Amino acid sequence: MAQLSDIANEFIRDEIEEFLERPEEIERNLALFSRVSPAMQDIAAALIDGDDVTVDRLTRKALDGGVGALEIMDDGLIAGMGIVGIKFREGYVFVPEVLVSARAMKAGMAHIEPILAASGVEPIGTVIMGTVQGDLHDIGKNLCIMMLRGGGFTVIDLGVNTSPAEFVAAVEEHSAHLIGMSALLTTTMPNMAKTVEAFKDAGIRESVRFMVGGAPVTPEFGKDVGADGYGKDALACVELAKKLAVEVN
Amino acid sequence: MGSAWKGPAISPAIVKRRGENFTRLTGEWMTPRRRFLSALYGGRVDKVPAMTLSSVVTLDAMEIADAWFPEAHLDAEQMARLAATAHEELGLDTIMPVFHSQLEADALDAATWWGTVDNWPATNDHVLTDPEDFKIPSDYLNRPSFEAALGAIRLLRKRYPDVGIVGKVYGPWSVGYHLVGIENYLMDTILDPDKIRRYLEVMLPACMMSAHAQLEAGADAIMWADHANRELVSPETYRDFLLEMHKEVTVEMGGPSIFHCCGETTDRIDYFAEAGWDCFHFESQVDPYVAKEIAGDRMSLMGNINNPTTLFSGTYEDTYEACMKVMQAGINGIAPEGSVPLGTKNDVLMALADSARDYSDAHRPDGRLVVHDPPPADNGAEAD
Repeated sequence: MAQLSDIANEFIRDEIEEFLERPEEIERNLALFSRVSPAMQDIAAALIDGDDVTVDRLTRKALDGGVGALEIMDDGLIAGMGIVGIKFREGYVFVPEVLVSARAMKAGMAHIEPILAASGVEPIGTVIMGTVQGDLHDIGKNLCIMMLRGGGFTVIDLGVNTSPAEFVAAVEEHSAHLIGMSALLTTTMPNMAKTVEAFKDAGIRESVRFMVGGAPVTPEFGKDVGADGYGKDALACVELAKKLAVEVN
Repeated sequence: MGSAWKGPAISPAIVKRRGENFTRLTGEWMTPRRRFLSALYGGRVDKVPAMTLSSVVTLDAMEIADAWFPEAHLDAEQMARLAATAHEELGLDTIMPVFHSQLEADALDAATWWGTVDNWPATNDHVLTDPEDFKIPSDYLNRPSFEAALGAIRLLRKRYPDVGIVGKVYGPWSVGYHLVGIENYLMDTILDPDKIRRYLEVMLPACMMSAHAQLEAGADAIMWADHANRELVSPETYRDFLLEMHKEVTVEMGGPSIFHCCGETTDRIDYFAEAGWDCFHFESQVDPYVAKEIAGDRMSLMGNINNPTTLFSGTYEDTYEACMKVMQAGINGIAPEGSVPLGTKNDVLMALADSARDYSDAHRPDGRLVVHDPPPADNGAEAD
């Protein structure tokens, strides 16, 4: 089993030691970070620290040095975001810290995405994402989108205040099978049910899978509105999308 | 012992809906207004108040009042009529006319989308990037959102002298979300905390003006919302950015104060009490026993009835049972945890007042004052 001392970057070692509690997550991250190069560890550390300037610089440097875009994304950016996600789930950090790390990830992805797009790598699937009608909150949705893209999905972002008809039209236009609906307000959560109903009315409910999330949304509420799964946070959203993608592919 | 209150009879609307057999609690002697205010300060009550502190507007209520979203947000008469259904139809002890969250932001030039009949208003564009650019317009309190809200409060005060009228203010933290945009605002709590402190400083006077105007118009209390909730920020963020400011607000407001913060707030209730809020309107994610233990006698607690699962998706019986459980925890009054979804059924919301009546009937050993059971030893505070 990998040891902390196998990881070159002191910041990453401290993060694992201080914030990770679940044995399987400690083991996974020890294995991951002891495997990846010190350069990737540095990118991950800068991302966890929310330092977008350093992530931008190190990503460019790694690409110039011949490191593959996929390797930088997986071993640097997503690896770092994985630690941020765990810290968020456990209450060590809150939305501001996640947003600042997300900004750093975006700085790195700005160099990575064009290369991946040009390389013709097949996405796992296409996800239609939107905040439901009447709701203009998009922080959670945007974090999910970033992680989904990093996780290998093509994401069509419908933005906020998305009507059921807009969800239906987007699914038809992009031949998508996965839909993610977000809501922050208890007053707008019922529009998730209206969206599911719109797919029934359009006769395409069976060919799609719905994911729901947002601060006041619960797994039980997701079931009530007819969704296929609930994601507590952006990391859970990616796991759920991968699981549901298997069902519809 | 005072004689029974001889105030207005149960509204004809309630009698019509509920039948002639529907009765007020026997021996009820406080007006709804007196009951609400006494409970707000943690005092004696003849009945646990059942209230709205945010919004209980539903599509049912719009039809009954013939007052509709979005027009009712900017029309004092429609707003008052629609708000009054909380008391007239649901039998609640309070009326809250400021349904939406745009009152201050709209008057401060935020771009407001006023919604539709079945969708809530929201801010759809953010106008501020520098606190030094912030200005309170000279006609701030005469802007359409204020004309409607203040006008509605005046009408309601005149029409319902015995019912609690609740005003609503979005504090500078939440107004910041509207004017600056929540993402930039939250990031700056880390990247440029002094900028956030400056935003709070310049926006606070606008929020205080709103509170004072609503109290002057006839509101009995102000529900002040600053959404420094756990889903967004740490308890230390509340402590470092808002605690001292809220201590000033609670002193300077000049009227009873109810603080609202969404979500799971257990880890910051102690700070809310320290800020000096008279009452905390809290959500269902918080265990009422634990909240009671933390708040102690420093701050009253109201709310806690779940919106999406209980009031919106549940039945009358589900809601009645949920209300009973919350009252058994000894909190000062029951209310929906926040603004209810517009599709919520009025028949379900009626369980609020009914359960408060029945609970109180069973918890008045002298037939006059409610005495709560001691909390169970294994749930929150220890029994005496």
